[in-house]
Amino acid sequence: MRRALAILVTGLAQGLAITFGLFLIFGAIPGDVVDVWASAGDLDAAQQAALRAELGLDQPAWRRFLAWVGAALAGDLGTSQRFGQPVGPMLWEAAEASLQLGALSGGLGLLLAFGLCTAQAAGSRMARLAVEAINLWSIALPTFCVGVAALLLFSVWLGWLPAIGGLLAPVIILGIDNAGQLAKPLSEEVAEVAALPHVMAARARGLSPLWLARWHILPLAAPVAVSLSGLMLAGLLGGTLTMELLFGLPGMGALVLNGIQGRDQPVVLAGLVAAALAIVLVNALTALVLAALDPRHTSRD
Amino acid sequence: MMRGLALAMLALALLGPWLAPFDPLDQDLLALNRAPGGVHLLGTDHLGRDVLSRLLAGAGTTLAVAALASLLALLLGGGAGLLLAGLGRGAEGLGFAVIDTLRGLPPLLLALIALAAMGPGLSPLVLALALSFAPLFAHVARTARRREQAEEYVAAAIVSGAGPWRVLFRHIMPNLAGPLVTLTAIILPRCVVTESVLSFLGLGAAPDAPTWGRMAADAARLAEAAPHALLVPVAAIALVTGACAALGGAARRYVDPRRAL
Repeated sequence: MRRALAILVTGLAQGLAITFGLFLIFGAIPGDVVDVWASAGDLDAAQQAALRAELGLDQPAWRRFLAWVGAALAGDLGTSQRFGQPVGPMLWEAAEASLQLGALSGGLGLLLAFGLCTAQAAGSRMARLAVEAINLWSIALPTFCVGVAALLLFSVWLGWLPAIGGLLAPVIILGIDNAGQLAKPLSEEVAEVAALPHVMAARARGLSPLWLARWHILPLAAPVAVSLSGLMLAGLLGGTLTMELLFGLPGMGALVLNGIQGRDQPVVLAGLVAAALAIVLVNALTALVLAALDPRHTSRD
Repeated sequence: MMRGLALAMLALALLGPWLAPFDPLDQDLLALNRAPGGVHLLGTDHLGRDVLSRLLAGAGTTLAVAALASLLALLLGGGAGLLLAGLGRGAEGLGFAVIDTLRGLPPLLLALIALAAMGPGLSPLVLALALSFAPLFAHVARTARRREQAEEYVAAAIVSGAGPWRVLFRHIMPNLAGPLVTLTAIILPRCVVTESVLSFLGLGAAPDAPTWGRMAADAARLAEAAPHALLVPVAAIALVTGACAALGGAARRYVDPRRAL
């Protein structure tokens, strides 16, 4: 219980620190939206100062931060300085697309990795080869490169992709990449646990392989499986960002990148904070599950 | 084989400027989007620039950025990890609270944030990559140091009167080289890929610096007219990643003390 509380407090502190850090960085960028407007039209210094006062850009950073957090908690993430729309709905729409891609590819990755490891634990040589192959694939071929190749092959040369739907290729590419990162260490862990004396003793007693897997191997391999999965899910964000931009999906990656290029700071800030908080959440959940699974983690602190 | 490939690529990157058949920036508007073959071995891009020459010119930039960034990450992260350890428990706890927070975020996101704050360019790119991977080095330095701290040679040094800094730098640091070198070898190819993605997104190197990510980004917009101009730099990125990964594996086996068993 104390462990769980500590994890929650750490997560909250990390979330708050990251949010404040991001706010400081994007409050301190040289040049704000008024500069962009001024370079496009003809605003004199007084008009610029008036605009800054109107937008609240002349206040000290900590006051703007408090105001921003207060408004964000009430559901108001500000107004896009480029499009004049509220940021909240823009972010929500983008998050939906990103979550869809992330959930599908993360799910595929977990399914592939756990499926292959189970098959390998049951003694399948094919599964063993497949684990090695996708591990090599994920190390040597960055998703970025595979994505470009897939884009060329399917949409330029074969002309298929629009017909199949834009999500299929990115989901498969990310899924295989994630499975490759996950399957190898997981299968090594399973093999290590399977060689432990208690498993050999259980096998000698003539217990069925399924019973062995469920009651003698899985409980010991679970912590490693959970922490690897958590790491994979947190890292998924980088992959979805690349895929979104390559395949032109309207997700968080596109939102933030367009925001950066147009100095649309409310959008950039909200997008980055949302992404970072999602990762902090995944990390905290992983730690919670780990603490519940493995009592040894409690005695360490 | 991969090791030979890596060495060959290093040689190409170093000799690239002399080997290139054309000026990488020279535009030949009468030969746009030429397919590979003939005078232009790997074809030309949408401005009639020779793809092979750009690839060779970009090799140096791409590899130099990745190498500098991973070395800087090693210095910053490893240095921070050791310094914090020497400053006492309070400083270490606070410093690693920050480092662990950053370590939880994917490096691509950290690099994106740093570059958005600093603006595009080659030096911001190196710094952003270094900052993104430095928390990993700090973490590995701390874990390895803790393991060494429990060893008897450390106790012996303390008993014979060595102060905490002397123990840290004279006795423990040499034993951290193995894990840190291994991590550098793992991070190097990730720097190549991250650099390419960032440059592809228009956040990395400036448009006139021919890194592979930039070449890919330029060519991606016109992929239908000149698919080879996109495929060539991307294949080069994949090859370098594979070669670096193989080299990293070799380096890991070389420094791993268990290899003797």
